[in-house]
Amino acid sequence: MNRSTSISPVTTMPPVDAMPQEFPVSEKAPPFNNPTKNILTPNLVGNDSLKQSPQNPILGPPILEFAQVTKSYGPVIGVNHVSLELRGGITGLVGANGAGKSTLLRLAGGQLRPNLGEVKVNGLSSWDWRAKKYIGYCPDSDAFFEEMTGFQFVETIARLNGYKKIDTRERTERVLEQVGMKDRAYRRIRGYSKGMRQRIKLAQALLTDPVLCILDEPLSGIDPIGRQELLQLFQSLAEAGKCLLISSHELEALEKLTNHIIIMVRGRIAAVGTLTEIRDLLANQPLAIRIDSDQIRTLAGLLVQSEDVVEINLQPDFLTSAKSATNSMDRSDGRNASLVVRVINPLHFFQQLSRWAIEECIEIRHLEALDDSAHAVLGYLLGGSGKT
Amino acid sequence: MVNPQLEKSSLLHYRPWRGELSGSWRPTWAIARTALGLLSRRKLFWGLYGLSVMIFLFFFYGQYLQVFLEQRVTEENIRSGGLFPKNIKPETILHQLQNALQLNGSADTYANFIWFEGYIVMVILALIGSAAIGNDFHHGSLPFYLSKPIGPFHYIFGKCLAVGIFINLITTIPAVLLFIEYGFIDTWSYYWDNLRLFLGIIFYGSLITITLSLLLIATASWVKRTMPMVMIWTVMMVLGRMIQRWLVDGLHLRKEWRLIDIWNDLYLAGHWALGTPHEALRPPWQMQPSYHAALLVIGICIVTCIFYLRKKIQAVEIVA
Amino acid sequence: METIIDLNEINQQFYSNHALKNISLKLKSGRIGLLGPNGAGKSTLLKILLGLISPTSGEGKVLSESIQSSKVKQRSFFGWGRNNFTLRGTQRGNERLRKKIGYMPEADALIPGLTGIEYVALAGELYGMPRAQAQRRAHEVLTYLELEDARYRRLEQYSTGMKQRIKLAQALIHDPPLLLLDEPTSGLDPAGRDAMLRLLLELGRDFGKSLILSTHLLADVEVVCEQIVILLNGSIRFQGNVDSIRSQQHDRYRLRIQGDNRDFCKDLQLEGIEILSENNRGELRVQVPKEWQTRNFFVLADHHQVILRGLEPDQETLEELFLRMVIVNSPTQVELATK
Repeated sequence: MNRSTSISPVTTMPPVDAMPQEFPVSEKAPPFNNPTKNILTPNLVGNDSLKQSPQNPILGPPILEFAQVTKSYGPVIGVNHVSLELRGGITGLVGANGAGKSTLLRLAGGQLRPNLGEVKVNGLSSWDWRAKKYIGYCPDSDAFFEEMTGFQFVETIARLNGYKKIDTRERTERVLEQVGMKDRAYRRIRGYSKGMRQRIKLAQALLTDPVLCILDEPLSGIDPIGRQELLQLFQSLAEAGKCLLISSHELEALEKLTNHIIIMVRGRIAAVGTLTEIRDLLANQPLAIRIDSDQIRTLAGLLVQSEDVVEINLQPDFLTSAKSATNSMDRSDGRNASLVVRVINPLHFFQQLSRWAIEECIEIRHLEALDDSAHAVLGYLLGGSGKT
Repeated sequence: MVNPQLEKSSLLHYRPWRGELSGSWRPTWAIARTALGLLSRRKLFWGLYGLSVMIFLFFFYGQYLQVFLEQRVTEENIRSGGLFPKNIKPETILHQLQNALQLNGSADTYANFIWFEGYIVMVILALIGSAAIGNDFHHGSLPFYLSKPIGPFHYIFGKCLAVGIFINLITTIPAVLLFIEYGFIDTWSYYWDNLRLFLGIIFYGSLITITLSLLLIATASWVKRTMPMVMIWTVMMVLGRMIQRWLVDGLHLRKEWRLIDIWNDLYLAGHWALGTPHEALRPPWQMQPSYHAALLVIGICIVTCIFYLRKKIQAVEIVA
Repeated sequence: METIIDLNEINQQFYSNHALKNISLKLKSGRIGLLGPNGAGKSTLLKILLGLISPTSGEGKVLSESIQSSKVKQRSFFGWGRNNFTLRGTQRGNERLRKKIGYMPEADALIPGLTGIEYVALAGELYGMPRAQAQRRAHEVLTYLELEDARYRRLEQYSTGMKQRIKLAQALIHDPPLLLLDEPTSGLDPAGRDAMLRLLLELGRDFGKSLILSTHLLADVEVVCEQIVILLNGSIRFQGNVDSIRSQQHDRYRLRIQGDNRDFCKDLQLEGIEILSENNRGELRVQVPKEWQTRNFFVLADHHQVILRGLEPDQETLEELFLRMVIVNSPTQVELATK
């Protein structure tokens, strides 16, 4: 695959032999970082994908809008004063257990009614029955009529949605094909694997051809192959112009799928945006950057002079896990060739580092921000150390 | 391989344990104890248990009261009123009373006592079935048990033990207490003369224990949840009794229809063990099927339960 | 390092379904990841390792307890047919085996109504510990797993993270040399998952426990395990150290670019660099020509006013490796890799 991929979006997945490669994500799908009331600065560097995007979503009305929404269950607060606008693409929702993710999703899906504020889907309140046809909701629970076949299940839901009998069959077939369950739909749900159950759930959510798909923990317990397939499915749905809101604990998978992430902490939205942006905003947590070079002492000398650098560690202890330990083995001569710096104002720092590399002829073999993954960011937001 | 650095840093680190592990039979006691413990945490259980104790106390003080009255009123005669007054010896009344209530230390006393406990036993069993057994199937606790060094047989045995202990607590043990009490009231020779009764009580008790615990575990593993469990058990035990009465006494069908009531079958088997002749069964107007038929039904019931349980536990997926 | 698992041509057949085909496996003590898609035979293998079923044919040793095929066994009452439990005879051997293994099931497997401490102590007693010992040890294990405050609470009030830890506690109660963990991190949030993985790593690395981790989350395996076993369609696709099969190309890099990277990419191609893949997060995988200096990346980035945020030699992640092993059906590749 070459350059062309970035211009013309990939609509189908590459053949299997390309699978081990980085999961290619089309540029069309990217989520649109809505310039809402949220903490984020506008994109620092031009995000041209926005201009490319056919729907040009920034101009359109939001598909999903939360306006200062609060939902509490008696004295227990689920979602606390949340405002949010989504316009399309895939958005990931992360947070600890009990942070209010499911409540947020249920509010968006019209399963719950907010105590305060308003949730709107395409301009209609999500609680309104008329809004339901814009919403496809996949709950996290795994309850089916086990004796039904997948087809019967989806058909029943379609009937419940109020479609006529002729319509029902056609729609059922269409959504089953959409989720790739057409050939397996005539087996009983009892015998389905978790991935297949997830697809059936998704199929029933797609019956009305909704613009907004809400998926609660769709990836839990699915084997890597099933996960890969589901991710592709989500991708294709996003390409079909739907707005997907997906919650997951599996941050690695989510990171692959999308760049646009909502982080929830204790019922509130802590941050919305791309991970890099969110990370850079955590000003009180200097970014840790690993640099491998043969001339680390020289480099360290330069680093000391930078005002962005607050800490230099020449004997980093990031090699705690088995994974990192193996990474460190590629040191050829056993000499320590890694250092970790902590920097504030990372943007400036990277520019400066780049200049040093050019001007002082320092060969940098490895450059990696250690704590800008969703995992680390979430850890910081929750008050942890950010380390694994 | 313990890392010394780590030992220093965290004082409450993991510690190894060395010791002998016993065989597979001791754990059955732990299973039984846990099941009874779970039951004892339900308030409903204590209420029902209180009722069963009241039945026992009724029998216990009934026997006592009789002796007390006998001693008080032996000398005097009672004049009964009406047109033709006549003197009645109180002893006669007491004897009539004794025989009517069956508080005379005969086979009927004990069989009746256990029969009366029947309803409460059934309700509590429904409770224990769902609390201790159905929950294991419903909440998927079986992998917890079966991944331990015990086989499914030990598991079932442990649960049977719990149910058995409980049933005996309500039926056999109070019955034996009544037996002992009557010996005190009556004469010492009562014990020797009625040894057959004692053995009969024990046999009756153990038959109830085995049949009901197997039946209970089988039903509980089938329906799993509390409410359906109570319903099915009620249908089996209470409705069964009503239906058999209706069929035999009301519709005058064959007396073998009574066999559908398992508690009645057990009652018959109990009388058989206590040595009551079949003709002497009370109430006399009630036609009862033969002892052998009852025993046969119980036998079939036990065997069916064992085979069902065997199949049921075999099908449990411990590793998903 | 002692051998903990030594299986020899194990076959498992349920009627026409060949669940395991000629599994020969020799595993040294350590932290082992057991991977495979659904239906690959993982759970059947776990059952054999737990001594819950005996294989149709083949033999082996787990922790020096022998596993025998069911043909050797005699049937008995309450012994379930051919492929399942038998009560007498060799089942005792299987029970001995389970005394040396702690198993953490994937299902909830909790007993509602019990408190945490009772539950763990019950597990100890089921393993055959004396009651007093089991209780003492239960307190000790719960303290270690940081469930101290929750130990007198009822199990139904536990959160997902606590449930997972108490399941680990009941597997650790009798201090087994081998732990079988079935999806230990499922349902956990990232913080809970980290804590669980740290515990597992610590148990394996510092306290010499052998772990067999069966999971779908390859990142977990990557953190905890040294060795992996990949099962596919009932046979072993790969067994050994992860690093030995990671394809590591020294001429490949992963770049992370912040900014408009179109011109940057064009220039890279002009320099003879092949762009293997890229995604919307500004991550590129590139193959560079020989004699390429990483400094040139910086020069190009500087030239195009983009920021180079990351530069890593391309190393296959376990996930990519797994997908390569499982999806790409080319045995030659695996053979090459295992050599």
